[in-house]
Amino acid sequence: MKINLKGIITMKKFIAPLTVVALTMTSCEIDKSINDNPNDITLSDVDARLFLNGAMLANTTVQVSHLNRITGMYSGQLIGFTSLYSNIYGYALTSDESNDEWNAAYIGATTNLRHIRTAAPDDKLLVGISKVVEANAIGTMAILMGDVPYAEISGEIEDPAFDSQKTVLASLSALLDDAISDLNAASTRNESFDIIFNGDKDKWIAAAYTLKARYAFVQSDYAAALTAANNGISSSAGDMLYKPRGDASINQGDKNLFYTILAGSRTGDLGNAGSYLMKMLNPAESVYRGNAKTNELARHNYYMIDETSASGNTGVAAQMEPQPIATFAENHLIITEASARSSFASGLTQLNAYRAWLTGGGRLNTVHNDAANYTYDAYVEADFASGGMENADGVTKEIALLREIVEERYISGFGSYMPFNDHRRLRGDGETNLIVPFPLNNAAASKHVERIPYPQSEKNANSNVPVIADSEALYTKTEVNK
Amino acid sequence: MKSSLKTLFLFTFMLGLVSAQISGTVTDESGNALVGANVVVTGTSYGAAAASDGSYNIDISDLSGQTSVSLTATYIGFKTQTSDVDISSGNATANFSLAVDAIGLKAISVTALGFEANRDKQGSTSASVTPADMTRSGEALIANTLASKASNVIVNSVSGDAGAGTSIKIRGSNTISGASQPLIVVDGMPINNSQIYGNSSRFGGVSQQSRLNDLNANDIKSVEVLKGASAASLWGSKAANGVIVITTKDGSSGKMKMNYKRTQSYDVIHDRLEMQTTYGQGRSGKWGVYAESWGDKIADRSGAADEVDKSKPYFVSEDGEFTQYTITAKNSKETYVDKNFEQVFRTGKYVQDDFQISGGDNTKTYLFSYSRLNQDGIIRNSYYDRDNIRLNTKFRLSPKVSMSSKVGYTYSSSNRLQRGSNVSGVMLGFLRTPADFDNEYYKGSYWSGGTENSGRHRAYRRYVGGSSTNPIYNNPGWTINEQKNTTRVNRILMSNELTYQPFEGTDVVLRQGLDTFTDNRESYYPIGTAGSARNSGAFDLARITNRETNYDIIARQNLELSSAISMVATAGFNTNDRVYSRSSSYIDGFLVNSDKFTTNLNTASEASSVDNGRLFLRSNRFYGVLSVDALDQIFINLSLANEQHSTISDAYSYPAMDIAYQATDMVSAFAPFVSFAKLRLAWGQVGVRPGAHAFETLAESGFGYSAYSDPVSVGQWGGGYRVDNNKGNDKLKPEIKTETEFGTDLRLFDDKFSIGFTYYSNEINDMLISRTLSPTSGYSSQYANAASMTNKGIEIDGSWNVMNNQSSSLELNFNWATNENLVESLAGTKVLNLAVGNVTSVALAPTTDANGNVTKYPIGTLWGTGSQTENGKWDGKLILDSNGFPQLTTSLIALGNPNPDWRGTVGVNARWNNFSFNMLFEHSQGGRYAPRTQWVLRRFGTTTETDNEVTLATDLKNIKGSTIPAGTTVRGFVHDFGGGDVLLDEVWFRQSIGGGFGNNQAYNFATKDATFSRIRELSLAYSMNNAALASTGLSNITVTATARNLFAWYKELKGVDPGVHVGGIQTGSGLDYFANPTTKSFLFSLSANF
Repeated sequence: MKINLKGIITMKKFIAPLTVVALTMTSCEIDKSINDNPNDITLSDVDARLFLNGAMLANTTVQVSHLNRITGMYSGQLIGFTSLYSNIYGYALTSDESNDEWNAAYIGATTNLRHIRTAAPDDKLLVGISKVVEANAIGTMAILMGDVPYAEISGEIEDPAFDSQKTVLASLSALLDDAISDLNAASTRNESFDIIFNGDKDKWIAAAYTLKARYAFVQSDYAAALTAANNGISSSAGDMLYKPRGDASINQGDKNLFYTILAGSRTGDLGNAGSYLMKMLNPAESVYRGNAKTNELARHNYYMIDETSASGNTGVAAQMEPQPIATFAENHLIITEASARSSFASGLTQLNAYRAWLTGGGRLNTVHNDAANYTYDAYVEADFASGGMENADGVTKEIALLREIVEERYISGFGSYMPFNDHRRLRGDGETNLIVPFPLNNAAASKHVERIPYPQSEKNANSNVPVIADSEALYTKTEVNK
Repeated sequence: MKSSLKTLFLFTFMLGLVSAQISGTVTDESGNALVGANVVVTGTSYGAAAASDGSYNIDISDLSGQTSVSLTATYIGFKTQTSDVDISSGNATANFSLAVDAIGLKAISVTALGFEANRDKQGSTSASVTPADMTRSGEALIANTLASKASNVIVNSVSGDAGAGTSIKIRGSNTISGASQPLIVVDGMPINNSQIYGNSSRFGGVSQQSRLNDLNANDIKSVEVLKGASAASLWGSKAANGVIVITTKDGSSGKMKMNYKRTQSYDVIHDRLEMQTTYGQGRSGKWGVYAESWGDKIADRSGAADEVDKSKPYFVSEDGEFTQYTITAKNSKETYVDKNFEQVFRTGKYVQDDFQISGGDNTKTYLFSYSRLNQDGIIRNSYYDRDNIRLNTKFRLSPKVSMSSKVGYTYSSSNRLQRGSNVSGVMLGFLRTPADFDNEYYKGSYWSGGTENSGRHRAYRRYVGGSSTNPIYNNPGWTINEQKNTTRVNRILMSNELTYQPFEGTDVVLRQGLDTFTDNRESYYPIGTAGSARNSGAFDLARITNRETNYDIIARQNLELSSAISMVATAGFNTNDRVYSRSSSYIDGFLVNSDKFTTNLNTASEASSVDNGRLFLRSNRFYGVLSVDALDQIFINLSLANEQHSTISDAYSYPAMDIAYQATDMVSAFAPFVSFAKLRLAWGQVGVRPGAHAFETLAESGFGYSAYSDPVSVGQWGGGYRVDNNKGNDKLKPEIKTETEFGTDLRLFDDKFSIGFTYYSNEINDMLISRTLSPTSGYSSQYANAASMTNKGIEIDGSWNVMNNQSSSLELNFNWATNENLVESLAGTKVLNLAVGNVTSVALAPTTDANGNVTKYPIGTLWGTGSQTENGKWDGKLILDSNGFPQLTTSLIALGNPNPDWRGTVGVNARWNNFSFNMLFEHSQGGRYAPRTQWVLRRFGTTTETDNEVTLATDLKNIKGSTIPAGTTVRGFVHDFGGGDVLLDEVWFRQSIGGGFGNNQAYNFATKDATFSRIRELSLAYSMNNAALASTGLSNITVTATARNLFAWYKELKGVDPGVHVGGIQTGSGLDYFANPTTKSFLFSLSANF
């Protein structure tokens, strides 16, 4: 092919513009700092303490939110009237419903609590608190679901293995021991980012013992539970609570979560009107638990949820009403039941001590703390003897006492996971005679719920999630209840 | 100008007809001006280009004694016309009305760099849309005008809101994260085409605008859609979704021309959901103040006035006209479905006035246009007003240097209504309202025990206003009249170009572009708005600013290597910079109940918050193209772009090549009816750059936790921080799409019939997704190059020029396309949500069943809980419970593919004398759609889906296991899921898996076949350009009537347009959830040229 001369000449001319382009190109390195994030702050620039309140709020979601309400529905305490909650109430519960709590426990709480420990290893107060909250969050997941990841979490492992439920609870118990020794080495200070105890190390130590007691208790290890509980929360001043705060004109973000859900578009969706719990507190009902020594009107009124109007609530669902995470009531009732299991007399003494506390107003708020509406006189042994006021059906006095204690736990535990954990524990131990006989939620159901399904968020990414058939997703017992 | 013409006339007269002037217009057959059409005196160098009104003037200075000349008018995409003109008088008029070229294929295409090229020499595919096609459809928004105009270019108006965004998808979805929206290049400047949600949610706020809406369709000269990777690859990491190259009009030399056009449109709701009027508010067959309409039978009521108890709380409307006492017995038979509809909807309309003036001479041209659009949406109180001003100028500064400047300014102002998954939205409250509730009086006083509480919100669940300010769902009247969501946008688009031709055949082009806008948004919710956050009043201000600058330097050189081979070599450098910032301020918990939206409604510092987010991006790219033309038969383009980007660590190169072989001679030898044949092959790579600022894991603030409508927010607990859930990634690189395509273009029977066929196949690797991490790893997600996907498809475009003569013509055009998409891998992530809610749209990783069979799923797969089936598939054989009812799956399952199997369009263009007629018909086959609104409304019992009564012939069970005895008359249906008849009653729809929301529904009964056909466009135009107009100073008048989206046929869907997607223009489709409905329109336009 012949190339003509004209072409060659033009190519020479072309060198000029090419040079222009080439020169521009040499100055085209991009400064990589443009890609530094202009909006968010580098982790190391933020004080470790500033991570604490967020982690505690995540734990709040784990303890007193959606899953807590769901377990209430599966324990005769709450009812789903319409929308999503009516399906869930009818046992149509899918793996998506546990995503938020799971993520809050493993990411919202644990990642940040561990970051605190890495960033401020010498601040023993923060280190101790962070371990208690971690044990609380992960422990709740383990109790609800059984085997969960723990040994391999929150690090570089992308798909952590699932450890057995007992192993996890043992690890958490050890973590709580560590926390207690850290806190013992710390000193109390005002710590505004600790939204639970404002930096009071003694309260944290007591709360750590109560959690240790809870973890032994769900495994029916009553001796260990008793030992721990004896160092646990000893008065309601030490209650570990989610305490709403802020401006009453703002409905959400820092308010009672029952109130919050009813104040939005979910008004009417769920409540407890007509639930077995409320029937037990209602003198008009055949299952009313009151007797000559017991008047439950105040607790009935305090527990009543007005699902038709959030602002109509003055009790547990009032805008500023605290919600329980770990309390004196739980701690003392662990002591009570554990004691009763070894000695009738000591069990009775503890029960009466508890009733004395109730007679002082117990957990009632100022609206409902009207002594005219409650009576909790001390029981005597005869009350539990065959034919006694707490033993109409002629069981042994030991059984009658335990049954009363379990019933008290069922009532006092409203708003916590305690009622759900108790009936699973007792069923697992073959002590069905002690279980509060709340009915199933509809005629089509034939068995009680034994677990909360593993979350879809974990299933979506982690192939180690134990496979449970759809039909068994709610009914397979967890290890401690087998 | 004028004086020089006079001089010329005088000169001509004096010399006695040695010169002549010919003038006239060049239009298409509808009378639309063909701006830039060339008219030449055959055999001479005399000629002119038509101005913006289509007019031209040719001055012939040397007649050589001729008394008549032959004129030829040519225009891209139109048949050339020749006409003999008598010039013996010195002045002559010759008007040309050009017929669309056979095929309608436009002979000239515009390349990625904005240069014109001969389409017959291209090896890659692109499609062009003419301005006439666009403006005829009468869409106020430019994006919508592209609908159905080319194969595999799917344009959906995702909402009927005035000014709302439009989704454009070229060859299916090509990316997972972000929108599959193409790059829009206007006059060489890539412009911002984002739909920014800012403070509002994609699914539950207002429909946001897309910035493409800021352009005025009447300013557009040409639109070229570059579908394939090879055509687009010069745009590197911006081009993965294709490129749309838009060129705005230029002025043209000659007499000053003016055009005025007015368009008036009337819009109505396209699909109205049928509501039942048989049953009243209530539950279990009894009237009561509940959320649902499962109450009593309205016909069975006495018809007397409702019984009321005046001692109980009551409501008095703001104007005192209406009082509602507490009802003790519901007797009234009145229903309000139509009245409540009228409260929300109206006939929307818009008026658009366009004025254009252009002119110039040999050294300069100008075009100025002003356009004003005033649109009132079909939902009351919604509006979209837009002003466009444009000045395009061109100067020839010296024989070697020319420059052009194109500047457009847009101001728009709008109010849009809250929609979607949003209790203060308009459709949510409207569609849930029971038939027997009148929404008219929505605001007034709640009287209780002699106390007046004013400013209360009355809705059907708070029919006397209520002791609380929360109405649960908004009364639509409140959404429309009390809330405000305004947007004001100021935007400047500028593109300047300097061309220097140092030598013959050498060009150096300098281009500078600027795209800057501010978007000011205000959302106001007075005290009493539904939703816990807004109930005590909320006011949200956001100011978004965005500035993008773009510089190119391009050198082009023509090389004649031999008589048989020529080359054009292009080299260029581009730098692009973007700065984005959003500042928002928010107050809530108003202390004062006032209609005035000011931040003084609550001055407590804890009630207000501020937030700011910024984004910086920069890229440098150099590129080269070598185009070889061998033997006038083989055409090769080779290109390479090398790009550096602030969001990646190393530079990336994007290569491409295409080859076209014109085989006409070879083919016509044995098939003489073939008048043109071309084979083409193209290959190329394009990409998507990673998002900005994703390298590090940082401390995040302003977060909260919520499991189900019960949030806790760290902001209310003293601030605080957390480790970002989203793990940083410093190893990001662009995602790369590699595409191969081949095809053929044929023209038969003297170009009367033309057809183009293309097969393409691409794979997209290193796709950027927010990879789901196991929460137990400590993070929820990580932005990473972690997915791959493939698309393949077939495209056919063609036309048939049935007849064409002086007085009439008929042309059919058609396109047909398939696209098959499969997600190949998500690198460990199983599901990636592309939307929210149940059912949702997801990217799903391939699954392997027990036998080792791998199933791959297309992007956007619908996903949710369903019923347990034997094969685990949504449409498999149901595993029924002992009563014959389906059972819920605990885990989520794939519920169908929302992508259509194929889509086709047939267009008709006909002309008869001064009339022209156009029709555009489209069909979309297959794909599934989730009309989630209707599924939820089954629970509410407001639609005709639950309007049925049955008397049982035998005892039947309902889903809860209760037996309903024979002879009972119940509201519901007898149904057989495969295990014998069962009763679908209120329990099934309202309390169980047969309706409602949440993850706990049998959604496999909730999706529908999305197949549809529609007549997208019908238009009739009459054009007058005869002598009768001459005396008026007008050269041409065209009157057009258009009906848009007039008829649609849906295979299974009812009451919802399958184009609607509540998630806006992002990836993911096929979902409705109380989205604002789409429209159909009737338009009239009048265009006059002076």
